[in-house]
Amino acid sequence: MAASESQPAARGLAVSVRGARRVFRSAGEADVVAVDGVDLAIATGAFVAMLGPSGCGKSTLLRMIAGLDGPDAGEIEFGDGGDAPKNALAYVFQDAHLLPWRNVLDNVALPLELQGRAPSERRNAAQRAIEQVGLADAARRHPAQLSGGMRMRVSLARALVTEPRLLLLDEPFAALDEITRQELDDQLRALWATTGMTVLFVTHSIAEAAFLAERAVVLTRRPARVVLEHALDLPAQRDAALRGDARFARETRVLYEALQTS
Amino acid sequence: MSAAHRRLLEAVLPPAATFVLTTAAAEFGIRAAGISPLLLPTPSAVVRAALQHASTLLPALAMTAQAVVIGLSMSIAVGLLVAIALSTSRWVERAFYPYAIFFQIVPIVAIAPLLVIWFGYGMRAVVAAAFIVSVFPVIANSLAGLLSVDPALRDLFRLYGASRAATLWKLSLPWALPNVLTGLRIAAGLAVIGAIVGEFVGGGGLGVVVLEAMRQQRTDLVFAAVLHAAALGLALFAAVNATSHFALRRWHSQEKDP
Amino acid sequence: MRRFDAPKILLALGIVALLAAVACGGEDAATRAASGRVAIALNWKPEPEFGGLYEAQRSDAFTKRGLQVEITGGPGAPVVQMVEAGKVEFGVAAADEVLLARDRGTDIVAVFATYQTNPQGIMVHASRGLRSLPEVFAAGGTLAAEPGVAYLKFFEKHFDLAKMKIVPYGFSIAPFLNDNTMAQQVFVTAEPIAARRQGADPQVFLIAESGFNPYAAVVITTGARARDESRGVADFVAALREGWRGYLDDPTQANAAMGVLNKEMDGETFRLAAEAQKPLIEDAFAKQHGIGAMSLERWTQLGLQLRELGLIDRPAQPDACFVDAGTPAATR
Repeated sequence: MAASESQPAARGLAVSVRGARRVFRSAGEADVVAVDGVDLAIATGAFVAMLGPSGCGKSTLLRMIAGLDGPDAGEIEFGDGGDAPKNALAYVFQDAHLLPWRNVLDNVALPLELQGRAPSERRNAAQRAIEQVGLADAARRHPAQLSGGMRMRVSLARALVTEPRLLLLDEPFAALDEITRQELDDQLRALWATTGMTVLFVTHSIAEAAFLAERAVVLTRRPARVVLEHALDLPAQRDAALRGDARFARETRVLYEALQTS
Repeated sequence: MSAAHRRLLEAVLPPAATFVLTTAAAEFGIRAAGISPLLLPTPSAVVRAALQHASTLLPALAMTAQAVVIGLSMSIAVGLLVAIALSTSRWVERAFYPYAIFFQIVPIVAIAPLLVIWFGYGMRAVVAAAFIVSVFPVIANSLAGLLSVDPALRDLFRLYGASRAATLWKLSLPWALPNVLTGLRIAAGLAVIGAIVGEFVGGGGLGVVVLEAMRQQRTDLVFAAVLHAAALGLALFAAVNATSHFALRRWHSQEKDP
Repeated sequence: MRRFDAPKILLALGIVALLAAVACGGEDAATRAASGRVAIALNWKPEPEFGGLYEAQRSDAFTKRGLQVEITGGPGAPVVQMVEAGKVEFGVAAADEVLLARDRGTDIVAVFATYQTNPQGIMVHASRGLRSLPEVFAAGGTLAAEPGVAYLKFFEKHFDLAKMKIVPYGFSIAPFLNDNTMAQQVFVTAEPIAARRQGADPQVFLIAESGFNPYAAVVITTGARARDESRGVADFVAALREGWRGYLDDPTQANAAMGVLNKEMDGETFRLAAEAQKPLIEDAFAKQHGIGAMSLERWTQLGLQLRELGLIDRPAQPDACFVDAGTPAATR
């Protein structure tokens, strides 16, 4: 999948998380501290993977960064400071969550529609996004007619259509088979290389984190705290063969051990 | 035989066969048991009465149908608006939902005379009765649909700064469409009942035909009128089903989560 | 006073319930027959139109003839169906219902006609200055009448009802009281009295005066019973006649008994109604042949009228539809 030459490289967005804390209160039950004082600095244009055991709070942290959940304490700032610029964020969920009554093109165009862009502009941008994820033929199909992998690609295209500066992904490929997953990992990494956006990728797959990211942040069991921040010592060009490389095994081992201690 | 023909046959044959067998069993059973025609007429007697009194039954059916369609249209409009209003906040829902339930509980037989006092004899009271009886299922089902919207999609809309109106129009309402149609299915049959009861008091339509036939000891005509009312309900039900099939075919019915 | 009721809806429900009961068999009839008990189903609440029956029950008219009578039924009861199915031995119905039922193939016969003159009428506000039914119809307005009732078809045939808006009668006089232009169906012993007591100025035109005068509050039974148990039927009718004699002479005690069962009418209304209905029950014919007696001429006329109105599909056999009160039934 080739990047479109006419599309200017989107600049990344730095994220600064300081002392973020989130507590879930429910009547009659004990408070659940999901995130307990997390500090995180993500550079502009970085690709960071967040690793942690299931239920540790990494999704909650991601949602806080996205602005979908407010931190109960701490600050989250973007770029040079303050809130995220308008329309700079995009989010990819664990499931594709498409609108079943719209076709692929209209699903992908949705964010632009919500931002009030003109129909022709929306259509063109959506078409480009669909091509970026390799689904050009499926534009007129409906979600019910697509496989799980294709739906996830549509979800990805939808996230890309606004040319986000910060792309947040919450275990997006977890429900897919290994081959499709690796394909999409490849595509995501290539997209990141072309656009220069900041990517924050939550996963509980060590191999995926190692393959995709420049830097991996390992979180503890709930309540989430950072136990390790590790810059991955792997080449910038990553291809499928890398997965069998000794370097790869070494890096995954580091992450694995960090996870064990959490 | 083509696939489409076979499918049509598979859909139509079982209920048609059951209908023929049940009717035949009823015909012979009623005759054999010697049940009086004043108590339970045979199917053939009912058909005869329907044909003999077609000039009374068909205009009456048209009148009842008119009241039902108007009442049902009001139920859809009002029911949907009320459901939208109730879905805006938990407080609103808790405060006002019990009043919506009132429409479900109030026995139409008891308030029909009141409707005639307020709206006068004739079509308006009958439409009011059809509306009152059919609005609650629309409210209840539409509300359930609106409240069941995928939270992740809500988040998505929020993320892109969608207004409440945009979220309602582009997400919640289409999402709730299957539920709205389910409510309509129920409301259609109820609207017919409401109209007939309204006609008992307010006059006109099949309701009066039923009363007249009972007073004149024409039980076969009573059944014929009831059958016409049932056919009306069935036609509406089929219309809702067709709408549902047409509107939701891309969804592949129950599949909401992609 | 008749208040709102939904008799026809109850009628429909009654028929359904009856169907269920029929399925369970006629044990009530059998057990009753063994002990000399009979049941009679009324078509309305206990009111002066049934005064003679309650008087007969109150006095020894029934018991001295070895009859124990249970009074049942009420507004909306499917009396004809109940009698035909054997759930009750006797019932009270309108005369035209007898001919209608017979036309549909049911062997029901009349044994006693309470009212020689039909008490149904049309009530209007006297202030309108109308002098006859044709004038009422020419003046237009709303007419509340029981849907399907026979006299209405008679009016439609013999008068011009084009200006009238005919609506179902809900057995409440409230719409009449609130609308000066309204006309409604009445039982002359009931609604006009109630309307007067509520301050209105009712004027009543009896349908009998227009040439349609079926017997009313007719006691019916099955043709089989009239033939096979003619002695029992004759005893019942004789007792009933005795009860009516007593009620016409002094309705006080029977009214009190009915007043307990029907709380919607007060004592004064009972008294006024009982008084108003006397000439309708005991006219020259009844004085000569006995209260409740019927004539072939009247049934023949009714049969011809119903046939003319299209309410019965075949010619009536007037001699088969009634058994002259007090005389044992001849083989018919």
